[in-house]
Amino acid sequence: MKAQMRKGVLEMCILSLLSSEEMYTSDIIDRLREARLVVVEGTLYPLLTRLKNAGLLEYYWQESNSGPPRKYFKITQDGDSFLKELKDSWQEINDAVSLTTQNKQVHE
Amino acid sequence: MNKTININLGGYALIIDEDAFETANRYLMTLSRHFGNDEGSSEIMQDIETRMGELINRKKGTRIIVNKLDVVEAISVLGTPEELKDIDFSESTTESKRAGGSSFQIKTGKRLYRDKDDKIVGGVCSGLAAYFGIQDAIWVRIVFVVLALVFGSSFIIYLVMWAIIPPAKTVSDRLEMMGEPTNVNNIAKMIKDELDQMSDKIHDKFGKKGKHYKDQSKDDDSDQILTSGWSWDCRSSRHKDTKAPFNKKDFV
Repeated sequence: MKAQMRKGVLEMCILSLLSSEEMYTSDIIDRLREARLVVVEGTLYPLLTRLKNAGLLEYYWQESNSGPPRKYFKITQDGDSFLKELKDSWQEINDAVSLTTQNKQVHE
Repeated sequence: MNKTININLGGYALIIDEDAFETANRYLMTLSRHFGNDEGSSEIMQDIETRMGELINRKKGTRIIVNKLDVVEAISVLGTPEELKDIDFSESTTESKRAGGSSFQIKTGKRLYRDKDDKIVGGVCSGLAAYFGIQDAIWVRIVFVVLALVFGSSFIIYLVMWAIIPPAKTVSDRLEMMGEPTNVNNIAKMIKDELDQMSDKIHDKFGKKGKHYKDQSKDDDSDQILTSGWSWDCRSSRHKDTKAPFNKKDFV
């Protein structure tokens, strides 16, 4: 349950990060680590690949002067609309959860 | 003193200590085994290799040679297989996928070869025995001989098979014949077994004629060096039959 929740939230956060700017993988990781969503980097690569295979993300190569070319990710149109759906359902869940937990406090 | 190895890790050219290389190699192999079933696993591994190269390159700074500490630190940033194994981003459950994947591998992993190391005529029977998982090739041989005596046809079949089945020449051929996956651990183990056999033969040979050879002790020495050079294989192949080394301590 916990892992499933984390997985869903992580997907939404990645899409939301990429909806505002195109990012290099390790920049994504840095931002997620700041938010303490990701502890180790290895978890992110399968997720990015899966999102890319699902057509929600795409990437392009950009030359780097400190090493080999870097993979920059950006969101696709499908990804954008998927993100909107996710955000809507997130809002619904959030409302529902806060409503029930508040009620519980009142009953107690 | 330490040997160094030149490697290309995800596009970064690195000179790396031998022990550091072993750690990195074992780590990447375990990861690729872990991601092996996921779609796009080669892409994931490529990304991880690139990132690992970047991390190591950054950590080493102006130093020329990568040491084990650099590798261990990169692994701690990327996450040990232990930390990654709980996270499975594929759709179906891990167990069903693992089970399906492994049984599939056993079926397709085997190939029919002639076993030239265990042959009486052409190694066809021992190759067939290995293919069908029969412990002792003698049963296949008996069947062939009986059929040859009764019908005479198996003699011709044998000749045809001798002609069309390729012999298991290389170590990876032999592994495919046995149905074991071809990875570095298995190949290393195979080579070690062969070296052991060879050293046994040498011992037998020189043990019998020992008195005639004055430089017998010299041969023993070189033999020891030969086998001790492979001592690291014992360590790496130890995990072959058990599960993949998921513990942190295996990498540190």
